[in-house]
Amino acid sequence: MESLSLLMEGFSQALTPMNLLWVFVGAFLGTAVGVLPGLGSSMAVALLLPVTFSLDPVGAFIMFAGVYFGGLFGDSTMGILMNTPGGATAIATTFEGHRMAKLGRAPQALATSAIGAFIGGLIATTLVVFFAPKLADIAVMFGPAEYFALAVFAFIATASVVSDSVVKGLSALVIGLALAVVGIDGISGASRFTADMPQLFDGISIIVITVGVLALGEVLHVASRIHRDPKLSAIAVSGRPYLSKREFREALPAWLRGTAFGVPFGVIPVGGAEVPTFMAYGTERQLDRKRRDPQFGNGAIRGVAAPEAAGNATSGTAMGALLALGLPTSATAAIMLAAFQQYGLQPGPLLFERNADLVWALLASLFVGLVMLLVLNLPFAPLWAKLLLIPKPYLYAGITVFCGLGVYATSAAISDLLIVLGIGVLGFVLRRYGFPLAPIMIGVVLGPLAETSLRNAMMSSGGEVSVLVHSPVTWTLYGILALVLVYTVWRRIISRTRADV
Amino acid sequence: MSVDAHGSPDTGELARTPEQPLEGRHGFWTGRSGLVVAGILAAIGTYLVVGIVTMDVPAGAKVPGPTFFPILIAIAVFVLAALLAVQTLRKPEPVPPTEGNPRFHTDWKSLGLVFASFLAFALLLVPVGWLISAALLFWGVSRALGSRRPLFDVGLALVFSSCIQLAFGAGLGLNLPAGILEGIYG
Repeated sequence: MESLSLLMEGFSQALTPMNLLWVFVGAFLGTAVGVLPGLGSSMAVALLLPVTFSLDPVGAFIMFAGVYFGGLFGDSTMGILMNTPGGATAIATTFEGHRMAKLGRAPQALATSAIGAFIGGLIATTLVVFFAPKLADIAVMFGPAEYFALAVFAFIATASVVSDSVVKGLSALVIGLALAVVGIDGISGASRFTADMPQLFDGISIIVITVGVLALGEVLHVASRIHRDPKLSAIAVSGRPYLSKREFREALPAWLRGTAFGVPFGVIPVGGAEVPTFMAYGTERQLDRKRRDPQFGNGAIRGVAAPEAAGNATSGTAMGALLALGLPTSATAAIMLAAFQQYGLQPGPLLFERNADLVWALLASLFVGLVMLLVLNLPFAPLWAKLLLIPKPYLYAGITVFCGLGVYATSAAISDLLIVLGIGVLGFVLRRYGFPLAPIMIGVVLGPLAETSLRNAMMSSGGEVSVLVHSPVTWTLYGILALVLVYTVWRRIISRTRADV
Repeated sequence: MSVDAHGSPDTGELARTPEQPLEGRHGFWTGRSGLVVAGILAAIGTYLVVGIVTMDVPAGAKVPGPTFFPILIAIAVFVLAALLAVQTLRKPEPVPPTEGNPRFHTDWKSLGLVFASFLAFALLLVPVGWLISAALLFWGVSRALGSRRPLFDVGLALVFSSCIQLAFGAGLGLNLPAGILEGIYG
């Protein structure tokens, strides 16, 4: 019950007018970027990161919490109305969601997805409140070898599970790792890969990399296709989103099942909520086939409810993994980790001791943010849909200017603007050939952790490699990794044999 | 996923990367432009190797030293570059069934305009100042993405960059360069 009293303290901090304002700003921006095509919460956090330096850490993280969940509330709106998912996590929602919209049930689809996101996030955040401190207690026992195992776990799982090709995922990962080794080596003081340019001595800033890969790369990608892709049109929403009692009862079990799928995936680093949303969707479809009047294919409410709940549940527990282990399990979490590091905070077990007030204020503001997002999204969904009317040229022009602003604001260096352009081109090429981008971020953020823990472990053992697998914790981690890989291979084989379905 | 159809000359809009020679209707490069990525990886690997060889390792650096981790990465980079190249050669991207449909090409004109706008922004920011260079960037990108009203866009771009100057420069205290407008405001 200690968690509860700490959480109450967190609430007292989160409910000050100023912090409520930051949650609102975050939730508002998060929903906006979620609704807008091609933007996700990771990009929003990346662009906001530089401009929040003048805020205190609590205010900044409370705002990020709003953005974090908001992106997931918003991205299904576009999927449902335009049949184009706003982000990878909304793909599964789009199938049945757009069918519902075409049959004139857009308000119901929007309501189902908003409530689903709320339920998933709420349950996951509650679990985090009670279990994150325990997770942190376990993580205190982690030494360099264990942290290296954790990093390897995140690398391999992200690179292999998310993308359609393991080679592509790993390629993206090593690009991230290569970007991360530029700069002065922290252990020996050697200058690495800087070509003797002083601008590179501190390494390539994570903000430059994120803005380049996620934001500028996306703008370039859109530019390369905008005259080629067919114009999309949105289905108009009439009336307020609502659910009748019967529809609510119909969706409820799907929301809960979706949450159950999403919760464990927040802790397993497979690069985001894509996998659980599809698993939740698949399960609902299986269950639906056994019913007397199958709904799937005709706009099944459960096909919207389950993936949405799964997506937000994953984000909720991902926050727990980030805070307690310092382990980012998605691109957005990776950027949040970078944000912590910018403020001189290191997420992980010690964060709960050293910065307890910040952690609990952040957790409390997750709850506040969820409630606020439900209020913002449920009655006002038709208004958000109006965002889809912004002409694309101006939208992306604005984003590009913000890329420039964000990068220049961090360092006031022209060299960074040139680097971001180069990385943006790299991001465009990778997008063009279907490479996943999350492994790059995971590689950049966890690369230094992997390197220092690997070298520290081997220094302490005198170069003995067996030190990396000497403890039960490392056995467990490598064991789970092996299971994840086996599961991935199995899933691939299954999907290949069923490819014609 | 984006699919490429490099070998359909009847569209008149051939999108080719410079290293792609013009070949027949379904030449060797059709669907194999993905080799670019393998090339990029190999270039990264080469840069790493050069950096590792020429690195000044401080005397007395403990083993494993600063080159240890980069060596691992460099090996992985080359292995993956080779695997990618083999994969792309064996399985080229499928040619879309709608032959002659131009929308599968990369639009190099729009792409180049966005790139040039950002480059100009980076180079002009300090000498010319935020207001004008950011407005130029906004104008260039919106033009590249198909905006049809150049004059209206000039106004919109200036309003946009001024709003940011006000909100972030005056409001949040970011130091944005004034450039040639130095002294007129701020």
